[in-house]
Amino acid sequence: MRIINPNLENKLKKFGSDTAHICFNCGTCAAICPLFETSFPRKFMRYIQIGAEDKIMDEKLELFKCLHCGLCTSSCPKGADPGEVMLGLKRFVLDKLRRNQDV
Amino acid sequence: MFNPKDIIDILAENVKKTKNPFGVNKQKINSWYVNEDLPDKGEYLLFTGLMYQMIPYIEAVTSQLGKIEDSKFSKYSSLGRFVPRSLTNISLNALISKNNVDFSNEVLKSIITLLKNSNIDFLYSPDLDQYSGILLYDLGDEKYFKAHARTVANTLYQHNISKIITVDPHTTYALKVLYPKYIGINFEVYTYFELLNLTGDLEKEVVLHDPCFYGRYLELSHVPRNLLKNMGVEIKDILRNGKFTHCCGGPAESLSPKLASKIRENRVKQLKETNKLILTMCPICYTNLRKSTSNIMDLAIFLKDCVTT
Repeated sequence: MRIINPNLENKLKKFGSDTAHICFNCGTCAAICPLFETSFPRKFMRYIQIGAEDKIMDEKLELFKCLHCGLCTSSCPKGADPGEVMLGLKRFVLDKLRRNQDV
Repeated sequence: MFNPKDIIDILAENVKKTKNPFGVNKQKINSWYVNEDLPDKGEYLLFTGLMYQMIPYIEAVTSQLGKIEDSKFSKYSSLGRFVPRSLTNISLNALISKNNVDFSNEVLKSIITLLKNSNIDFLYSPDLDQYSGILLYDLGDEKYFKAHARTVANTLYQHNISKIITVDPHTTYALKVLYPKYIGINFEVYTYFELLNLTGDLEKEVVLHDPCFYGRYLELSHVPRNLLKNMGVEIKDILRNGKFTHCCGGPAESLSPKLASKIRENRVKQLKETNKLILTMCPICYTNLRKSTSNIMDLAIFLKDCVTT
């Protein structure tokens, strides 16, 4: 069973990430990302939208593969700034890991 | 892939203790200037941010990480923690490659030649030249980035520094964008090639690899292009350039050398299509890309060779 956190995007604001709701999941970011991994970073935008905090924690290692190169942000047709959202998620996850010492 | 928290905690602890991510004495990292005749007064402060000087250390650590990535050792978090920590403290100095040190020194000395050649009134002070903390920012460690950046920015402010010359895209972004945003201290920041005044009739052809931070975040791609054009150098641009440049893969090296290599191969393939000399202007890009091609040069060395021959 998955627990949904409807306030996830609000919670992410203090980590500098508040644009995930703008994303309409077109997949341009995933198509252009130099990592060439399935639905990356698109799926993390979606996880935030649906409040899937558990999924983000489950896939936290993958999150850190993001190079912060900014190509997704430059290419996003909606201005949802996926690159900065990913950086905000890294901050959120690192903060949570340091608090819980959950490695 | 290594556990990011392990790596970040080590880097943050090192930055806190020694002001650089490798836990190494600064004098050991920053010695390129010793035999240079450098002014101690001037309009601009040359601030290298130690990125070029850290290349030999980055390479030493990542080559070792590459050997144990996905091996049975990296699967156990306790060992995953132990291995990189020992690399940064004990055995690192033995792994430093002279070629990497020579490259870093040559780039920085070339920049001095170029600044002098363009009559730029600059000073260099090893005490004021510090690491910017940018790696911590990129990995999401806002807390330790801010703590470090505050001490760097305050030191510059206390010494009445207002104009700064940087030499790499990561330090430039930190000082120009992140320090005002996170620390509230503004400097007038120029990367060295923005100040150069060079002309010539070289009849050479090159392809530029724009670093992500110059191409996208700082939108400076036109500057080296105009500079090279004024020197008679023709630029064969590829599709992925400027604002839409392709990452070199280097930033992935501290967490996954395998991933870095995959991205690098893709980028080098794009650049090689032109069959021209590849010019880079970032120490991370150069060091990573040259693993897949020898037809590559740092912009500073290329420009210095052009003005001195």
